[in-house]
Amino acid sequence: MSAQLGRENILIGSLAQIGRCGLFLLRILTAIPLSMRYARETVRQLWFVGAMSLTIIMTCGLFVGMVLGLQLYHVLAIFGGTSATGSVVALAVYRELGPVVTALLFAGRAGTSITAEIGLMRATDQIAAMEMMAVDPIAYVIAPRFLAGLVAMPLLCCVFCGLSIFGGHLVAVDWLGVDNGTFWSNMTANVNVWNDVVNGLIWKSLVFGAVISLIAVFQGYTTPPTSEGVAYATTRTVVTSSIAILALDFVLTAFLM
Amino acid sequence: MSQRKSYAVGTGLFIVLGFAALAYLATQTTSVVNSHQGASYTVDAQFSDIGQLKERAPVKVAGVRVGQVQSITLDPGKAVADVTLLIDKKFSQIPANSVATIYTSGLLGDQYVGLQYGNAKAYLANGSHVGLTKSTQPLEEMLSKFLGSNGAADAIGGTYKVTAHFTNVGALTVGAPVKMAGVAIGSVSDVKADPVKLDATVTMSINKQYNQIPDDSAAAIFTSGLIGTQYVAIQPGGSPNSLKEGDQLVLTQSAVQLEDLIGKFLVSGSPSGNNNNAGGNGSSNQPAGKH
Repeated sequence: MSAQLGRENILIGSLAQIGRCGLFLLRILTAIPLSMRYARETVRQLWFVGAMSLTIIMTCGLFVGMVLGLQLYHVLAIFGGTSATGSVVALAVYRELGPVVTALLFAGRAGTSITAEIGLMRATDQIAAMEMMAVDPIAYVIAPRFLAGLVAMPLLCCVFCGLSIFGGHLVAVDWLGVDNGTFWSNMTANVNVWNDVVNGLIWKSLVFGAVISLIAVFQGYTTPPTSEGVAYATTRTVVTSSIAILALDFVLTAFLM
Repeated sequence: MSQRKSYAVGTGLFIVLGFAALAYLATQTTSVVNSHQGASYTVDAQFSDIGQLKERAPVKVAGVRVGQVQSITLDPGKAVADVTLLIDKKFSQIPANSVATIYTSGLLGDQYVGLQYGNAKAYLANGSHVGLTKSTQPLEEMLSKFLGSNGAADAIGGTYKVTAHFTNVGALTVGAPVKMAGVAIGSVSDVKADPVKLDATVTMSINKQYNQIPDDSAAAIFTSGLIGTQYVAIQPGGSPNSLKEGDQLVLTQSAVQLEDLIGKFLVSGSPSGNNNNAGGNGSSNQPAGKH
């Protein structure tokens, strides 16, 4: 009886969590006009989640491109199609790897720090203090971080993809000897700007950016105000957003392709 | 304040870098197939089969892109596809009697519409109609033409059947081409084992237009290329009589088995094994009488 009750509680609890998350998103969206007053705060967050993530994104992008070039070259060599290396690297990166890997890195790099920061604000009563001063914490703390994540993700993803192409080129052309012109012409011939770059890269990364930011600020804002609670919320941000990214990736691919 | 300024500059740099990367990806690594600038005009063409042609596929003249496919609709009532082509205004001097053909770029590439210039003095204008079109050639049709298998060969006025006995047919299958001088003249319609003679009976359907084949011609099973499919080659003889329906080709040469060939190579000088074999084995290079 109690086990059943427990299971029911988990079900109802997770439903309630999703519901709270949705309502929280509504609160953020309604607070966005108000948060325009704190545009400088948004810029600071953009610096923090975007510009500060560049190093890891660029490094990872380079290596993902390099390993793709290496793997694809050897697989395509079996079929005598090494000239397609460029286009396959580009397609793989634009459609899947770019948005997904960037999103996973972003959740780990930026999502966690947003959660931890907001969680600590909550734990040290800074949010309560803001409310006392009639400063809306949603408009001043949450919305800027949400917007910054939304803007930063597509830009980071573009940087990631650019570096991946560069890495693929480095391995395939400079190292393995695919012809430079073939590499690029094959790529430009097979990659379509709307289907691959806009639908694959931009839309996916925008959605992922919104989801990661929402989960991060939500977990931070609703964390129990203890040090254990903050640690727990940070973990949950990574786990939940990773699952959400991979599940949404499938759904988005099915819709956009 | 200076602290604040430094991150503002950094953020600005980040945004510029992001957009620069986007611009680079969008312009340098993709084909901007669907963006056409400037004025254009539409012409329409009707095709009986558009194959895999898609909207926004390129329209090319001499291989150079001049426009794109705007829409593809099925003409109601007729099994004809209406294709509207959007052509850039600067290519306004396309003769009115040009031919529109659906081509495939490469073996596996996308399809596009190619325009071959006619010789008319009048030019295609907005809304005009390309009267001469050539539809896509399905790969299957081309292959079957090439291989001379049933479909294409039968269509041209019937076939007649002849049989041949082989001691070994290798991987010969029904539908394999029958060739003379390398040209497909028919196809294999049946391969089965003869329960009495203990060899393989191959029935071939040969196109009726090739009815002058001498009846002492030899049939051999060859392989096209190293890993290609096998086919029956007819090597004409010198008899004044021609093959007729139901005739049998007595001179045959079986499929060469790679194993036999290698075995011969390795134990050269001891061909005695062949003599024990009543029918002669498949590795014999002479199409001389085994029957």
